[in-house]
Amino acid sequence: MDNGFDRILDACLDRIQTGEDIESVLASYPADSARLRPLLQAALQTNRSFDFTPSPDAKRASRQRFDSALAELRESRRQKQPWFSRVALRPATWAAAATVVVALIVVYLGVRPALSPSAPVVLPFTPVASPNGNFSFLISDDVNAIAEFKEVTVNIDKIGLQQTESDKWIEITPEVSSVDLTTVPGALTQQIWRGDVLSGNYQQVFVYVANVTGTLESTGERIEIKLPSQRLHLAVPFSVSDNTVTNFTYDMTVIRTGNGRNAKYILKPQISESGASQVSNGSGDTGNQQKPTVPDQRPTSLPTPTKKTPKK
Amino acid sequence: MSTARGTDKTEARSQRENELAGLYEEYYDRIARYAFVHIGDRADSQDLAGEVFLKALKSLDSYQERGVPMQAWLFKIAHNLVVDYLRRKAKLRAEATDMELLQVGDEDPIEEAETKIRMEKVTEAMKKLTADQRQVISLRFMAGLASKEVAQAMKKTDGAVREMQRAAIEKLRTLLASEA
Repeated sequence: MDNGFDRILDACLDRIQTGEDIESVLASYPADSARLRPLLQAALQTNRSFDFTPSPDAKRASRQRFDSALAELRESRRQKQPWFSRVALRPATWAAAATVVVALIVVYLGVRPALSPSAPVVLPFTPVASPNGNFSFLISDDVNAIAEFKEVTVNIDKIGLQQTESDKWIEITPEVSSVDLTTVPGALTQQIWRGDVLSGNYQQVFVYVANVTGTLESTGERIEIKLPSQRLHLAVPFSVSDNTVTNFTYDMTVIRTGNGRNAKYILKPQISESGASQVSNGSGDTGNQQKPTVPDQRPTSLPTPTKKTPKK
Repeated sequence: MSTARGTDKTEARSQRENELAGLYEEYYDRIARYAFVHIGDRADSQDLAGEVFLKALKSLDSYQERGVPMQAWLFKIAHNLVVDYLRRKAKLRAEATDMELLQVGDEDPIEEAETKIRMEKVTEAMKKLTADQRQVISLRFMAGLASKEVAQAMKKTDGAVREMQRAAIEKLRTLLASEA
């Protein structure tokens, strides 16, 4: 077949389609113009016979039908999608969800300190230790499993007192941070801090315990005594005033669970034996006049274990 | 995983819909002209052109497997609709010839008459072409497709289309010359 001529004819028809006249097209192919001319004239005649331009109104109406069908199709497809897909595909939904999440985070961060005891709001007040202060904090041990130990050492980081009115906390760093509970059994106590705190009503006491270790009487083995929490909690209301000394006794007890090799020891606050008492804060006295002392075997700089005063 | 695949499929479908909508302005006219060559009725040709796009929209899922440009695919749909149209008409008016379907519009009566005479001559000549030749001429001249696009629409090679094109024009020239 005349493949070369077919290509030339095709190229000429392309140019005719763009509106170029026959003579200028033929000028490009002088060798084939005699054969091309009648063919191009026939093609042009055929083309012009069906020169038809659709009416703009018909085209517009048809376009509207197409657009409506497309919109319906897309809506139908959207309705068939799972709800999470529909939500995920909407940028506005993402934006709303992101806004809600951010708002929740902001609200959570804002209220968390007030709601959570793990982050108490501490007053910007540092209690000053003083031998004549209005508050004394004492540690005692209720008799339970303490007899099984030669010694039980409780290391205390700090003490927290929560005010009733403001819910805010006062934190105290004890003067004596280690207490051997075997030296303060039953009615005996040991003062670990005395000083001045803000007068007013208090509702809770925390003792932040770093660790507790003990030496078993039977084997001499030194073991770690478990804590239910690093922060021993007592909800015991008490008051502090400027003219009196409040002695708060925090009673701890060691209890045993299991027997023999499976025995475990736990340190717990003993609420029934804990509490505060108030005595008058006379001039020159120690503020602990009612405390009967036990034999002092400690350096003079250390507080002396004393007998518990009656709880208020 | 399946949700991701579903989303991809939806996005692909959406892209094809956008592509089809983008072809509307240019190809509506071409398809209407293509249809007019075959059915000879301006209003019906316009309706058929619109119908082509609606049918394409509904059948877009099948388009991706055809491996031809969307423009060529539209003319395949148009061709099928033209065939259906002519069958329906033939059934309704068995005695009518194609030329009787040609209608007169609202133009100048003299111009319309001249147009009608030209169309009658060309239509009669085109009836004597083979079906493939008629298809090539209508796609190439009325729809304004390039020979390569015609080849894609007809699933022929480029060379076969050029050959049919030359043969069709030679025949048309002979027929139109003899009638003149």
